[in-house]
Amino acid sequence: MKRFVALKVNGEEYDIDIEPNRLLLHALREDVGLTGTKEGCSIGVCGACSVIVDGKLVSSCLTLALACQGKEITTIEGLAKDGRLHPLQQAFLEYGGFQCGVCTPGQIMAAKALLDANPNPTEEEVKEWMSGNLCRCTGYYKILEAVMAAAHNKISSDFQVKHERKTAKIQSLNVYKDS
Amino acid sequence: MAKTETFSVVGQRVNRVEGYDKVTGGAKYVADIVLPGMLVGRILRSPYPHAKIVKIDTRKAEKLRGVKAVVTAEDTIKQGWGAFFPDQYPLSVGKVRYVGEEVAAVAAIDQDIAEEALGMIDIEWEELPAVFDPEQAMKEGAPLIHEGKERNIAMTLDVERGNIERAFAESELIVEDTFESTPQWHCAIETIGSVAECSPSGKYTIYMNTQTLFMARYRIAAALGVRETDVRIIQSAVGGGFGGKSCDDNNAIVCALLARKSCKPVNIINTREEEFLAGSRPRVNMNIWAKMGFKKDGRIRAKQLRIIADNGAYSGKAPAIAGVAALRHDTCYKYSDVKTQAYLVYTNKIPTGAFRGFGNPSAEWAVEQIMDKAAHNLGIDPLDLARMNAADPGYVSPHGNRVTSCELRQCIDLVEKMMDWKGKRAQKKPNRGLGLACTVHVSGKRHFGDYDGGSATIKVNEDGKALILSGEGEVGQGAATAMCQIAAEELGLPLEDVEISRADTDMTTFCLGAFGSRVTYVGGNAVKDAASKVKQQLLDTAAEMLEARQEDLAAANGKIFVRGSETRSVTVAQLARARLFRRGGAPIVASGSFDADSVLQDATRYGNESGAYNFGCQAAEVEVDPETGQVKVLKYVAASDCGTVINPIGAEGQAEGSVAQGLGYALIEGLKMEDGRPVNPNFSDYRIPSMRDMPPLEHAFADSYEPTGPFGAKGLGELGMDPTAAVISNAIFDAAGIRIKTLPITPEKVLKALKAVSNQEPTRKVKLKADG
Ligand code: FES
Ligand code: FES
Repeated sequence: MKRFVALKVNGEEYDIDIEPNRLLLHALREDVGLTGTKEGCSIGVCGACSVIVDGKLVSSCLTLALACQGKEITTIEGLAKDGRLHPLQQAFLEYGGFQCGVCTPGQIMAAKALLDANPNPTEEEVKEWMSGNLCRCTGYYKILEAVMAAAHNKISSDFQVKHERKTAKIQSLNVYKDS
Repeated sequence: MAKTETFSVVGQRVNRVEGYDKVTGGAKYVADIVLPGMLVGRILRSPYPHAKIVKIDTRKAEKLRGVKAVVTAEDTIKQGWGAFFPDQYPLSVGKVRYVGEEVAAVAAIDQDIAEEALGMIDIEWEELPAVFDPEQAMKEGAPLIHEGKERNIAMTLDVERGNIERAFAESELIVEDTFESTPQWHCAIETIGSVAECSPSGKYTIYMNTQTLFMARYRIAAALGVRETDVRIIQSAVGGGFGGKSCDDNNAIVCALLARKSCKPVNIINTREEEFLAGSRPRVNMNIWAKMGFKKDGRIRAKQLRIIADNGAYSGKAPAIAGVAALRHDTCYKYSDVKTQAYLVYTNKIPTGAFRGFGNPSAEWAVEQIMDKAAHNLGIDPLDLARMNAADPGYVSPHGNRVTSCELRQCIDLVEKMMDWKGKRAQKKPNRGLGLACTVHVSGKRHFGDYDGGSATIKVNEDGKALILSGEGEVGQGAATAMCQIAAEELGLPLEDVEISRADTDMTTFCLGAFGSRVTYVGGNAVKDAASKVKQQLLDTAAEMLEARQEDLAAANGKIFVRGSETRSVTVAQLARARLFRRGGAPIVASGSFDADSVLQDATRYGNESGAYNFGCQAAEVEVDPETGQVKVLKYVAASDCGTVINPIGAEGQAEGSVAQGLGYALIEGLKMEDGRPVNPNFSDYRIPSMRDMPPLEHAFADSYEPTGPFGAKGLGELGMDPTAAVISNAIFDAAGIRIKTLPITPEKVLKALKAVSNQEPTRKVKLKADG
């Protein structure tokens, strides 16, 4: 039997109508409509579905949506604010911490959970923590570099400017000159 | 040799053009695409490795509420399809040949109903004897998998160049051994999937995460029995390919069949289990007997291979892969007399196929270990042996591969330096050892339709931004960024002013797609050609507007200016508008094309297969734990010759990612099979390397310039994983005196080999004494 569930995702309330056994992963992707969270293995091994619930990193493929009522859920879509990327997003972009990008939302959420709890991790701590997030493209070197760069604020200053949403004035095609 | 050309965009560490979407979760992968009214498709798969289908009854399933279509072979033209041999069907016709084969499919309003309906399809089976081992399958009397394929042999190859008998007779050292490789799954974090719709007029539109759009269109159209243009393929964001998404599987075809029958959009996204069972076609596993003859000074005199390659139940690209395993390595070193025989054999298992490296990693797993054995037997440093035999520019392989640029020796030098090879060898520590291996790869290969080319169109929009229309596609490897850089360089535009379209078979001209390390080289050359034609149009218009001679004009920073008096300039946007908004106006647009200077191999497999060859050398230092058999990679170094590096971030990423896959292949990846069925097809039983598994890695690019490449570039994507497994095995031999000949190199195998050596030790000593 379906039932109404209220989920708070990235600060916004969503009322969704779901089966009680609906996984958070599918509720987010299909009912809430946020597809940034990915499904890679469906058994809690790859980390592609990582989201943060009440400050804790969870695999949304192993979590019931119902159990997340009344909790703060953060997904990849909640990191950029007012058109400005989160430092981790900037670092992944600048240091090439992704290729195909399908593991990237999970990697960034995992790194965020780590840095929130431990803003100054050692390389070993990052490796240990991030080993729950599989990536088949990068060999992890640039992911590690990106996480360390974000932790130590090594993001170039002109970077944000380069990636800000642009505004432009379109040139008129009006052939009748103003009198 | 490097060319001293200065570039403004090429060679820069630029961010991915699609990067913003990828770090924000905004990129749309195929599983993220939802069309109005879309149904969920699920596939009923064979539980048997070999069985006759006596009867299928779908009536119950069709009646289930929410089911909109059920399809079986009766809904198809029952026409075989495949990359080289048309031996597979979209849905089984009469019999199944492996566990996981597609038998029927359902489209329903949700996944639960679709799955319930699958359970309601009644099939009467008649099990047939099956065969899983290629050597068994080749024997007389083995169960026949395909009618007319005697002894289950899909393809044989038998090539001799020079005089192999004489060459072995003239050799002063002969080394031979047999090696076995395993199937390796791509394990892209995103599985194969499609979203298909079929319009009332009969046109199919399929959103796919394929790496080869036009080849997919061709094969899907053939399987559906329609014209190529009745199928439109649009590429979604692709979550990793590595060869596994080159459309040798049935996912999209079945999806299209369901869409046609239900008259609704349908998606089929493989589960991880389906991906292992019948999705991406794993690396062709091979049994390779290799024999090589050397002169005392180390020069290679003769080489002979006998390969038995496991095709699985259907052929896909395995025929070409077996060919590459048999022949390609003869371009790495200077060979004169070679003989190679390969048998590609059907078995009742998942069809094998293209995985990064194609046939190279399997062949190099064998040949590069023979090289290592020879070096030890001859008392020559393996590094010196490789250097002495390395190919040079101008080398023509016994099979006709013509090498243009080649910096293999430089790669060997770089590896020597990065590893401190001589220093470490001089101070050998117990249980530690060094190993290395070399490799060659192509930059595109001529084997489809005698075409080794690509094409692209570029238009300049009214705001001065250039848009590249290319059908090569982006699979995550960074092709889109490299193409934008190439166009920006040629047009004198800043990178921000160049965009690239999504690949779409209706909107772009024919491209072969991402395989064979071809996109930067072939696709890049096509983009450069289109850009130079566009530039000509810009110069024509600029000459008019600036009242200057064309020879005096140059392009930079989004402007065309008069050389010497830079203030006399006009922006690309002004030019685009001036050319368009006038009587007789026209847009700035041009198509470019490139076909590599390669030839189709003749019946004896002779002919220059690619326009350019890329080379590499890698080395590892390992430590073998004699108690546990654990192999720890202490340091890994790799050097690649890919010509000019277009985007260092992307190129390094290719090298790093392929070493990771190579290390997985060498040390951990494999799936337990029982009666042709993977026992636990999931990510906890099939382990791929994680961050903590990665050793310290140092990588370098050779200073190199490929004269036929776009701004000197050639291929790179596959090079980095070709030699890795042999590198590790060679290092283990140096560390512990044991040689592991089957993949993956597990601690159990190492322990067993260590035990065998320690048991053998006394006899060996006795024998030596007796000899002396
Ligand atoms: S999909 Fe949840 S961990 Fe892999
Ligand atoms: S970037 Fe492709 S899986 Fe990580």
